[in-house]
Amino acid sequence: MIGDTLELIVVAVDDIASSLRHVRLAAADGGPLPPAAAGANIQLRLQGAARTWRNAYSLISPPGRRDAYEIIVRRVPESRGGSAFVHEVLKPGDRLVASWPSNLFAPQRTARHHLMIAGGIGITPFLSYVADFAHSGASHALHVCCRESETGTFAPWLQACGELHHYWDADGHRLDIPALLARQPAGTHLYVCGPAALNDEVIQAAANAGWPASHVHCEHFGAALSGGTPFTAFLSRSGIEVEVGESESLLEAIERVGAAAPCLCRGGACGVCVTRVLEGEPEHRDHYLGAAEREGGELIMPCVSRARSTRLVLDL
Amino acid sequence: MMQSQIVSRPRYRDLAAEDTAGAHLLIVEGDTLAAGQMAALATAFAVVAERLQTWLVSAPATALAPGRVRRLHTVEEARTALEHIEDGFGIADRLYLQGTEPFMWSLATAAGRAGLSPTQIRMQHAGSLKRRVWCTHCHQTTENVTTNIATCAGCARALLVRDHFSRRLGAFMGVMVDAEVPGEVPQREEVFR
Ligand code: FES
Repeated sequence: MIGDTLELIVVAVDDIASSLRHVRLAAADGGPLPPAAAGANIQLRLQGAARTWRNAYSLISPPGRRDAYEIIVRRVPESRGGSAFVHEVLKPGDRLVASWPSNLFAPQRTARHHLMIAGGIGITPFLSYVADFAHSGASHALHVCCRESETGTFAPWLQACGELHHYWDADGHRLDIPALLARQPAGTHLYVCGPAALNDEVIQAAANAGWPASHVHCEHFGAALSGGTPFTAFLSRSGIEVEVGESESLLEAIERVGAAAPCLCRGGACGVCVTRVLEGEPEHRDHYLGAAEREGGELIMPCVSRARSTRLVLDL
Repeated sequence: MMQSQIVSRPRYRDLAAEDTAGAHLLIVEGDTLAAGQMAALATAFAVVAERLQTWLVSAPATALAPGRVRRLHTVEEARTALEHIEDGFGIADRLYLQGTEPFMWSLATAAGRAGLSPTQIRMQHAGSLKRRVWCTHCHQTTENVTTNIATCAGCARALLVRDHFSRRLGAFMGVMVDAEVPGEVPQREEVFR
């Protein structure tokens, strides 16, 4: 983890939908929290009975708020235990260790118009964007793809939202991405945050239409995609061998055995966790390495990527 | 000869249409057109011909151009037209400029004010190497500079024309050449023909 850690205390937990839990956190010592800008996230250390998870969550509290951090956690039972822990175990009064807020997905200040596309729980970073834009008066539009039953779930955070549209999976209600991207004015910045399939589709559609890459921004969730087939990792410098289970990431396994591994986003985006592969074939799932580096097979981002071979030897 | 060693000049390359879904606008400084250049541009823009507009600025009446052609007399006229383009620019549009640096940068900065991102603008240098020079002392610009040392049109200081280029101003920086020893002005030579 980069930087100092924060001691937080759970102030309130609220279920805002059947699989969505809103959590309010304050500084354990009652003091002010470090300010965070729109799009920031924090990494929470969730201490379960048998293991520890480190999950990153977008802050949905209004930017700059220092009395509390708010997050919304969707329960993803099959792929990762951290969200189940938040839903089943976490209760007011619990203490948590968190990273300082970091921000790899801040709105672009020079934009003339902000176009946001959210898929499911990927709406969370945009809740703080909307508060920011409402405050600054920046032109914006939010397009939300979600379940039909959840179109009203985030309404409390979207009171001040300018243009707002909801889409769901039914005829006449799906988002036509190419059509939306075709009619945007120069100076627009596009942000997408959602499941990988949506992110990829939007990024591809923008490229096809001729959007400059500098105007297209994406936040990936690492959480949902770091599990998979178990394999063995051998950390050559520390001489430790670790079994990477199917529901944990390589990075989590490394952390579990106490080896030092730098990380920041835990979502394959920032590049901080890059590690040399000495043996074995990585299965790349990050958004950081270029095509040549992937093919070279000498680098891996342990926060999301895994192994195609049964064993990986890492320079750690 | 005294010449600036700083190199922050933009690099220009031959124009090639990018096949994006947006509108394509090509603006050519007519009096820099060399023989065969229009034919080369027509080939380079054939893929987007249907979505192409070409503005010819101060071009001979006989000049042909690809796409829908509009004729303008001066760069000022072109700049005003850019700033008032109907419905504004779209995010997938591209602007291509060909001409001298002062010509291209007058239009690029105007397009920037109209919301176009630098990543949507392409430039190919043609014609004279003359420079627009921005005086770092009085902040006036001096046009059509072809010498290494120029007299500022605003404050009459002798300015060394540096290779330090400001994309925001679309001009090269000019700094007083005899600041240390007043009156000691090196020889003036024509270097940006
Ligand atoms: S921690 Fe950011 S890419 Fe792995």
